[in-house]
Amino acid sequence: MLQVRFLFLGRVNMPSSNQRVSRHGRRSAARHVTPTLRQAFATQWRVIYALMMREIHTRYGRENIGFLWVIGEPILFCAGVAIVWTAIRPSHEHGLQMTAMIVTGYVPLTMWRHVVMRSVKAYEVNSSLLFHQLVTPFDINVARSTLEIFGTILAGALVFFGSEILGYMPAPQNWWLVYVGVFFLVYFCYGFALIVAALSELSELLEKAVGILTYVSLPLTGAFAMTEWIPARYQFILEYSPLANCIEMIRSGEFGIAVVPHYSILFLLASCTLQFLVGLYMTQRIRPHIKIS
Amino acid sequence: MERSVRCIGLSKSFHVGKERRLILDRINLDVKEGDKLGLLGRNGAGKSTLIKLIGGVEQPTAGKIVKGMTVSWPLAFGGAFQGSLSGHDNLRFICRVYDLDYKETLDYVEGFAQLGKQFYDPVKTYSSGMHARLAFALSLAIEFDCYLIDEVIMVGDARFTKRCEDELFNKRSDRTLLIVSHNMDFIRSTCNRTVLIHQRKIHECFSVDEGIDRYHEL
Repeated sequence: MLQVRFLFLGRVNMPSSNQRVSRHGRRSAARHVTPTLRQAFATQWRVIYALMMREIHTRYGRENIGFLWVIGEPILFCAGVAIVWTAIRPSHEHGLQMTAMIVTGYVPLTMWRHVVMRSVKAYEVNSSLLFHQLVTPFDINVARSTLEIFGTILAGALVFFGSEILGYMPAPQNWWLVYVGVFFLVYFCYGFALIVAALSELSELLEKAVGILTYVSLPLTGAFAMTEWIPARYQFILEYSPLANCIEMIRSGEFGIAVVPHYSILFLLASCTLQFLVGLYMTQRIRPHIKIS
Repeated sequence: MERSVRCIGLSKSFHVGKERRLILDRINLDVKEGDKLGLLGRNGAGKSTLIKLIGGVEQPTAGKIVKGMTVSWPLAFGGAFQGSLSGHDNLRFICRVYDLDYKETLDYVEGFAQLGKQFYDPVKTYSSGMHARLAFALSLAIEFDCYLIDEVIMVGDARFTKRCEDELFNKRSDRTLLIVSHNMDFIRSTCNRTVLIHQRKIHECFSVDEGIDRYHEL
């Protein structure tokens, strides 16, 4: 009796069984096969958005503050360092306020490091997503990087305004330099993430070494010192580091004429673009090397 | 373009440690529209690998696949779903990716999979039968020309099997199916063509019964 009832219930929301289901219309897979350029962009956006939402749910779950942890992680890091350094270091270094130095240096550094950490083996751990033919490694990488970048920018803004309200940090002298500096920082991070993700897929060694490498390369990021402070014959090293260029630019906006900045917009534009193109090329070719679990 | 899936000179090898293991060696396969093709072979012969290659999940080492129709992702245990997410989250992901209507798809999948409250639990807590139901419901929510089915259909209970038959063989009787199974009764009742994968090569069989006989002789 129970069996019969269930069978009946099962039939209710199904059309009569001899009716053929059309393979056209919105549910059809065929409409994704030969997209126009506009449709292709729309698909790419949909996929990246879907991946970001999925990432938020897997990483932060739905409990307590949930997706706010996107901001929470970097803010704990940046605020923690800013507070500790403000407390234990002299209030000024080379005439610049310590808190302002930390905020302008640590926020970009956090963004870069988090993006790098997120992109190590990003494709292998997400290989189940590649079951869907519309999802590409590029989408996966962009989704993950975007979350980190978005989170760090919000966290950075909160730490910055917090310090400013509490009087530990003056407002930037030139907002535009800060904006352009952050723009190049974001550009740099996207490109860097593409390369790290591809290389970590190819080499186990690199996967293990990434943590160490980001740590060892801390001096090259220019997060703790300004290029002007180091001996003139070594300055070229930081001048060839895109990340250091970004931070110099942001600091130049923050401190105005109090600092002698070493950055070149032309160099940033060229190096970030070149890096992004190399990253794109590698991402295009990485697909056969991804191990599917 | 002809509505078919053609594998031309397809090879696939995996790296196992330092060694390179060849799984499929320059195979050719022509799947025509409406074929219900059973892939037979022993465990580890490369059936699932071939399914994954055709589904675009794995990339061939050599050769190519010419697709004149849309092919689903491989319906199998593992893969395709994020274990830590609920069935419902996976559904929303698929709706976003394939641009499906959320409400309509939800109704369809809930009606078809009948997972009840567990639809909102993480997929990793599902039994294999429940997993199969979710996999079927989600892939049937998108109208593919060709469905790739790797074992998964056989684990459902009688009612689910009946539903699958109705959805796949009645309502979508014009579609192409590639089925991996060790259940020869199922192959006999479902397929109109079989091929045998053995020792890295593919062997065409003239009839389903011949394929099944050869499978038993392996």
